[in-house]
Amino acid sequence: MHVWRFEAIGTVWEIETIEPLSHRRRASVTAVVDDFDATWSRFRDDSVVSSLRSGGTAPVPADADSMLSLYREVGQATHGAVTPLIGAGLEALGYDAQLTLRPGAPIPAPADWERMLRWDSSTLSVSVPAVIDVGALGKGRLVDLVMAALDGIHGRVTVDASGDLRVRGGAARIALEHPFDPTRAVGIVEVQDAALCASATNRRAWGSGLHHVLDGRTGLPVQTWAATWAICHDAMQADAVATALFFDGGPQLAADWGVHWVRMTTNGRIERSAGFAGELFT
Amino acid sequence: MNVHPIARTTTALLGTAGALLLAGCAGTAEAEQKAPDDAAVSAPYADGTYTAEGSYRTPETVESIDVTLTLQDDTVTDVEITGDHQARETENYQGQFIDGIADVVVGKKLDDLKVDRVAGSSLTSGGFNQAVERIKNEAATAAQ
Repeated sequence: MHVWRFEAIGTVWEIETIEPLSHRRRASVTAVVDDFDATWSRFRDDSVVSSLRSGGTAPVPADADSMLSLYREVGQATHGAVTPLIGAGLEALGYDAQLTLRPGAPIPAPADWERMLRWDSSTLSVSVPAVIDVGALGKGRLVDLVMAALDGIHGRVTVDASGDLRVRGGAARIALEHPFDPTRAVGIVEVQDAALCASATNRRAWGSGLHHVLDGRTGLPVQTWAATWAICHDAMQADAVATALFFDGGPQLAADWGVHWVRMTTNGRIERSAGFAGELFT
Repeated sequence: MNVHPIARTTTALLGTAGALLLAGCAGTAEAEQKAPDDAAVSAPYADGTYTAEGSYRTPETVESIDVTLTLQDDTVTDVEITGDHQARETENYQGQFIDGIADVVVGKKLDDLKVDRVAGSSLTSGGFNQAVERIKNEAATAAQ
């Protein structure tokens, strides 16, 4: 097994393959990641989403329809909690491009984002000042894109974007990290030719009650759920469900999509979907 | 049922509550059976039962829970959590989709498991970690 490790979009990536990746493969993966970051990162001034902060129109990015259509479903399922216009809310709490981490008053996301953020086959436009943040499912999307860039490689290929991973050509045993103690696991599950996406409030956190999973309706960090895991064929949907599971409506959405999952409350209790095939250490 | 990570130290005990205290909440912990005097950080607890209370604010309510731990030989042998959730995102809200509601998780040491990968929250980049260190230092300076 060979592992290629790098940092991108603010986290650590590992790509595991049987044979080392060629320079050409690495270059194509790097290009995919760079393009995604240059489009969707709100942490850089020159990205497409940054160019739309005051409102405006841009050529439609390649992933806009896939991601924003899914956002529409997740937003409906969670009654507005999950929204791509949560960026201003994250920045209000200090999670901004400068990483000031100085919390100010919370800012709820606009309730009717679909009227403000529109896209078609040629343009993406925002009608009001707004900060787009695709954190609810964007990393999963990028995992899918990276896996596609590794098409044709034989044997088991694992793309692990730290929390969101996808396995092709085999199975992998995955420990579900305890959100309060990273030396421990709360369970274990085998993932075969599928994605497992995790989300938890313990690392991307910067103060008492301050972390990166916000309820768009209030602009406040979620309180009840500490960690979620979702398994689906593609990582974007798994990532979306992992986010939705922090809210009421998440289990319904998962059932509608046939996604299996586990989630843990901030007081240590754990739930699983009826069909979750893994083991939990309860 | 037991929950291990709660138990090792005073800090860890509050850390569990920390999970429940994430919200800027006040929490207190008191041992029914006195812990060793030097329990400050890493000393093992005496066998016995410990109770921690915590509360945290949700958008709608203030939630409170009690955590009771039973320790034997520096290992948690039992944990009981009681609380009264009032928030909108409640545990038992959608029972029809949920199997095995509300078991308290025990956990196992990762070192004892044979796995290919670990899935949890995303590791943060160096920039984020430095920013967190910076605000901690600023807070420490401001407190002096």
